[in-house]
Amino acid sequence: MIDRPFCGRLFGPGLPGTGIPATGSWGEDGCLRVSPEGAEQEELLAENPVIAAAGFNVESLRINWQAAGGVYAFIVESEADRNACRASATPETVRHFTSAVGARIKLDRRFRLGGAFLTLILLLPLIGIGLFLLNSDKVADWAVKRISSEQEAQLGELVLAQTKLRMKILDRGPAVDAVNAIGSRLTTGSVHRYRWFVADRPDINAFAAPGGVVVVFSGLIRSAGSAEEIAGVLAHEVAHAELRHSLRGMIKILGLRALVSLLVGDASGSVFADAATRLTELRFSREAELEADDEGLRRLIAARINPNGMLRFYGKLASEQRLSPPAILSTHPATGERLERLRRAVAQRSESWVPLPVDLGPSRMILP
Amino acid sequence: MAMDVVDYEIFGSEMQYVEVELDPGEAAVGEAGVMMYMQDGIQMDTVFGDGSQQQGGFMGKLMGAGKRLLTGESLFTTVFHNEGSGKRRVAFAAPYPGKIIPVHLTDIGGTLICQKDSFLCAAKGVSLGIAFQKKLGVGLFGGEGFIMQKLEGDGMAFVHAGGTLKEMVLAPGESLRVDTGCVVAIQPSVDFDIQFVGKIKSAVFGGEGFFFSTLTGPGKVWLQSLPLSRLANRIILSAPAAGGRSADQGSLLGAGVLGGLLGSDD
Repeated sequence: MIDRPFCGRLFGPGLPGTGIPATGSWGEDGCLRVSPEGAEQEELLAENPVIAAAGFNVESLRINWQAAGGVYAFIVESEADRNACRASATPETVRHFTSAVGARIKLDRRFRLGGAFLTLILLLPLIGIGLFLLNSDKVADWAVKRISSEQEAQLGELVLAQTKLRMKILDRGPAVDAVNAIGSRLTTGSVHRYRWFVADRPDINAFAAPGGVVVVFSGLIRSAGSAEEIAGVLAHEVAHAELRHSLRGMIKILGLRALVSLLVGDASGSVFADAATRLTELRFSREAELEADDEGLRRLIAARINPNGMLRFYGKLASEQRLSPPAILSTHPATGERLERLRRAVAQRSESWVPLPVDLGPSRMILP
Repeated sequence: MAMDVVDYEIFGSEMQYVEVELDPGEAAVGEAGVMMYMQDGIQMDTVFGDGSQQQGGFMGKLMGAGKRLLTGESLFTTVFHNEGSGKRRVAFAAPYPGKIIPVHLTDIGGTLICQKDSFLCAAKGVSLGIAFQKKLGVGLFGGEGFIMQKLEGDGMAFVHAGGTLKEMVLAPGESLRVDTGCVVAIQPSVDFDIQFVGKIKSAVFGGEGFFFSTLTGPGKVWLQSLPLSRLANRIILSAPAAGGRSADQGSLLGAGVLGGLLGSDD
């Protein structure tokens, strides 16, 4: 029990301000003997030493005592030395260690608690994002129910305005008339007032914004073999609008972006405008696409339009996919699989179809 | 004890740089971007982490680099080897007005706790670690944040302070109240805590903030008179480009009209 020395640093009157290395050991009388390293210093005897936790983060042990010259302090820093110091102390002195150790433990506990709290606050948006991603369908359902068709129309207006900034949009002329003639047959009985536009773009694509704004790219009209083929695409897009797919997608994006901006801080504040521009290149889920196919087919048949046109156009897309994927496929994926599904559905029908009284000739001619 | 040949020299008064002399085979680590010049024969090598444990595995290096990110240092440090046959010199410059503090780590027990971001350069082998400030109050209101830097080793280390430097030795039990943010470095035996200024009136109108840092001995402390953030604050306040006012002295004409005319070409 006696003479198990431990290393530390000695501070006191007449010593360098930064302390000197020393070794200490407890005597049987409860006194501390400190012998500084180096021959010229003599051993010090500490009577009635006071033990406390001290130093940065109260990580070290400080043993203070009063001597003739002033107050001395012996700092025991490393854990091994602290343990040695405690183990070799007399029972009366050991009591003092309890409070010193207690102070350190208390500090550690509070630090961990504070750290956990801080981490939680930082992680809260992340957790929110996780929950949102898991429940985004329910959230979107809930939100979509609260949006009136007037608000939807306003949104469509916004999307149209954004689109006009990026591409040339025709709102009259033979192409628009042709699209209008086909489309209005598909939209009888809708709560939305549909408006049809043709975008001057070579891509084979079309999209429906909320509230009945449908934009067909001129590339699609040019590549379509008949009015029925265009009708097939329009039916699909109208189905998206009627089923409010883009609205749901937009709510999902908006919710996610709001949470992300909570996480990283949003300086631009343009979340809404940005989401509106993204809408045109929105990807729908596979389920939404299949749903839109079914609904589109239902609408075609209800409007007495030959659904084989839709099949033909999908077939055309599927074969072109191998060479160079048309733009419509980037937003409407997996055409081959959907084609098979539609083919099976159409095969069950055996009506005779009247050709659509729409001549695509003039619109192809005039299109830029 | 004092048998070490002084192999560094500090030049300048308010904007200093330190020139370190390397014997053949010796090396120094510097914060990325502080090297000012180096002589022929010194090889520069940028390492990931702090360069103290070259043999450590990839994960060890990654941890070291992560710690450096936390303390606000850059991810890489640069090691300067003397590959020549004679003594060669390399200089490191302080990034803002202030003083360079040379600390011989052996003299203070091998460990120095310093403000993050204040490290300049050191002998190779000195490890740059982080020391979390575990006292929540000190971390929040002490002006140094929760993350401080811990330099460990037995060589020379150079730390940079803003403004004028005050080195102080605190006797056992002696305590000192310091404005928050002014503590650059402390010996680990020093207690670092905060204390409420005492009166609401002085807290609100005294301009010193709500808390003082208190340092209690024994041990040595290094204080800076002008923390960089305070200097930056003042500069921004009087910078017209950042919305501050430029008129601080001179006549109405000089400051208002002519000052505006002359200062408008930025």
